[in-house]
Amino acid sequence: MFRYYLKLGTRSLRRNPFLTALMVLILGFGVGTSMTAFTVMHVLGGDPMPHKSARLFVPQLDNGSMEGYTPGDDPDFQLSYIDTMNLLKDARGKERTAIYGLAPTIDSGRADLPPFFEPGLATMASFFRMFEVPFRYGGAWDESAEREGAFVVVISRELSERLYGDTDPTGKQLRIDDRDYRISGVIDDWRPVPKFYRLLGTGAISPIEHVFVPFQNAIAREWRNNGWTNCSGSSREPGFAGFLKAECNWIQYWVELPDAQSVSEYRDYLGAYHAEQQKLGRMPRPANFALRDLREWLAFNEVVDADTRLQTWIAFGFLLVCLVNVIGLLLAKFTARGGEIGVRRALGATRMEIVRQYLVETVVIGAFGGMVGLGLSYFGLAIVDKYGLGEAGIARMDVSLLFATVALAVVSSVLAGLLPTWRAAQVTPAMQLKSQ
Amino acid sequence: MEIKPILSTLMRNKTGVFVIAAQVALTLAIVANVFYIVRDRLNEANRPSGVDEDNTFMIRVGAYRPVIDPFADSARDLAALRAIPGVIHVAEANQMPLSQSGNNSGVSAARGQQQISSSAAFYESGDSLIDALGLKLVAGRDFAAADVIEIAAGGPPPEGPYPVIVTQALIDKVFPGEQQPIGKALYLGTGPNADEMRIIGVVAALTTPWGRASWGLANAGDVSMIAPFRRGTDSPLYIVRTEPGALDGAMKAAESLLVTPGNGRVLGNNRSMNELRERRYRGDRFMVGLMGTMTGLLLVVTASGILGMASLWVNQRRKQIGVRRALGATRFDIVRYYLTENFIVTGIGIVIGIGLAFALNAVVASELGLERLPLPHLLVGVVLLWVIGQLAAYAPARRASLIAPATATRSV
Repeated sequence: MFRYYLKLGTRSLRRNPFLTALMVLILGFGVGTSMTAFTVMHVLGGDPMPHKSARLFVPQLDNGSMEGYTPGDDPDFQLSYIDTMNLLKDARGKERTAIYGLAPTIDSGRADLPPFFEPGLATMASFFRMFEVPFRYGGAWDESAEREGAFVVVISRELSERLYGDTDPTGKQLRIDDRDYRISGVIDDWRPVPKFYRLLGTGAISPIEHVFVPFQNAIAREWRNNGWTNCSGSSREPGFAGFLKAECNWIQYWVELPDAQSVSEYRDYLGAYHAEQQKLGRMPRPANFALRDLREWLAFNEVVDADTRLQTWIAFGFLLVCLVNVIGLLLAKFTARGGEIGVRRALGATRMEIVRQYLVETVVIGAFGGMVGLGLSYFGLAIVDKYGLGEAGIARMDVSLLFATVALAVVSSVLAGLLPTWRAAQVTPAMQLKSQ
Repeated sequence: MEIKPILSTLMRNKTGVFVIAAQVALTLAIVANVFYIVRDRLNEANRPSGVDEDNTFMIRVGAYRPVIDPFADSARDLAALRAIPGVIHVAEANQMPLSQSGNNSGVSAARGQQQISSSAAFYESGDSLIDALGLKLVAGRDFAAADVIEIAAGGPPPEGPYPVIVTQALIDKVFPGEQQPIGKALYLGTGPNADEMRIIGVVAALTTPWGRASWGLANAGDVSMIAPFRRGTDSPLYIVRTEPGALDGAMKAAESLLVTPGNGRVLGNNRSMNELRERRYRGDRFMVGLMGTMTGLLLVVTASGILGMASLWVNQRRKQIGVRRALGATRFDIVRYYLTENFIVTGIGIVIGIGLAFALNAVVASELGLERLPLPHLLVGVVLLWVIGQLAAYAPARRASLIAPATATRSV
């Protein structure tokens, strides 16, 4: 029977190609628009490390002065140098890493390639383990070199290919801000979206940095933070040494806590740390600290911003209008076929049979609408990626979204068909036959 | 007017009325709110910066070898840049309007305040930013050579009091209603040890490096100040203003003067003010385009829905129309009947839509921090939908008017 209805359905759709095309197009537009908006939200709102995000945490401490204090305010996004060094020294948690942004100059020594600025990151060997950074060549520097502030560097695949082509550059010297650094590793293709580890300073869809230098080396070279620095109080101590002692927050800190117990221990530790610092004359505000896991951190930083949410709302509003529209068109179509329904009912078709026949027809419309929607989503995502996300190449449709698009179209069309189908099933054979 | 027969016809076709009214209502709610958001974004993206934008650019250079005497270097750079043909003014500064990178500081109206009065973008220049950016001085004076304070590389800011030039927006926010701002004290930061500054000049406008909404500067896009600091730095930023038409040539000349092979320098940014504005508001403009496209499609879909339903009604009532024509109704009467019917159905949708628009606006307002939907926007949406409804209904109405009176005598 299903195949028969399918045949009836396609035949009826072909009988009125303009109306059918209109329904398919409208449904396709609605589905395409909403799936485009949804995909962007899905990508930005995704979990970049689903298997580990519950174990990675960002501690926040409030080192502000009493002036400008508003109870209930969140602590700053970043830590001061003093707190970073204390937390590193206490070495709580399974692993920990501190990072801050750099913009060093790279001199390749090649005549055809004048020195250039390159986005960089001061970090620790633990960074590459905690965030499971894949390596193409070599690997991270070793921890002993790190403590000595050694001149070693990890570079991105992109920078490596720009400088050395497709050869393995590990062991070579790279000149950074007029000093030689030994290349210990080249990161393979790695682009976490959102770029969770450094949301503040570069944004959620930025590519990774290209030069990774040991934290202690960057401090020894007196490299200032290239990013967001927030100071409270005023320090008159001159130079970089004065900057390190000031209550300026510019370092982002991550800690890995493997289980619930270590999380609660770490919270206690932060509380005790705050009390201890207060005794030393720092952190005058009432105890105010936070410990957020990766997903909470993404939400706290509003990675999915108001614009993106609003666009999604409006896109689904658009789909709703399209649905109501299709309801109207189906009503028109089915009403016009009252005579045919009357004959079928008179010949013994039950109401259920009529409902089934017309549902099959709406499913066929939905399937075609889904295909149109799929094409439009691809087109829409290409536009959004190119102009909205700066050619990040991240707003892509995956298999689950592909199925979701078609499913959305079919479900939409069936929903739209419910009322018209029900109305069609109400046709009384006698009335129709009489008026013929 | 045949309102009563129209109403009783519609009462017998509730589903059709519902379908059209629902579309109109949803469309109105979306369109009115999108208009509002789009207008807000465009206003922001086109808000004047106070800068002579067409003739101004920035160039920042960095060093890959240690810099021995930054002051001597920048004096040489300034002289070289001033010698470029077509260049009128050059200033070294710490930050550039709309460049999305820079400093801002909290300022207080009185010493010892516990909370800052406002955040303000903190521009520093030992030269004249008024000249280099083409700012309009509305009160007081520009800095004189004697006002300039040199700060060694990495050195702390000076203790007050020192002179500052502020924007009118800063006066309005920190000293509301103040008519005589010249000579007033302004404090950097909070508490008893806040540094004192003296306002010596007021400029009409100078936008911050971020434009409006960013880093605690929400709705304070023009709250800026300039301090007369000349800071030793190994990555100086120069702001250059040229004669009309000389910008492109001057940008190229500046680059080749400041960065030469082997001089130990790296080019940072070399961008015109127009490019900075474009980059700053690219996202907003994209959102405007996206929303505009969606709204356009939405209106087309709604119009097609109205057209389809009106056609259906005409087809169903061919006989009735024939009878009316046979009984003496003119073609115009028939057209008017269908347009009035559409006006009523659209009107039902509009009434519901106004309610929906305000409901959606509550969401928009809380998400984007916008104020309540202004009535004129809603009115534009209302008029637009009525017009679209009438246009969409016209073709079927005209077709209905062409039905021959003889139709009444035939059986369908």
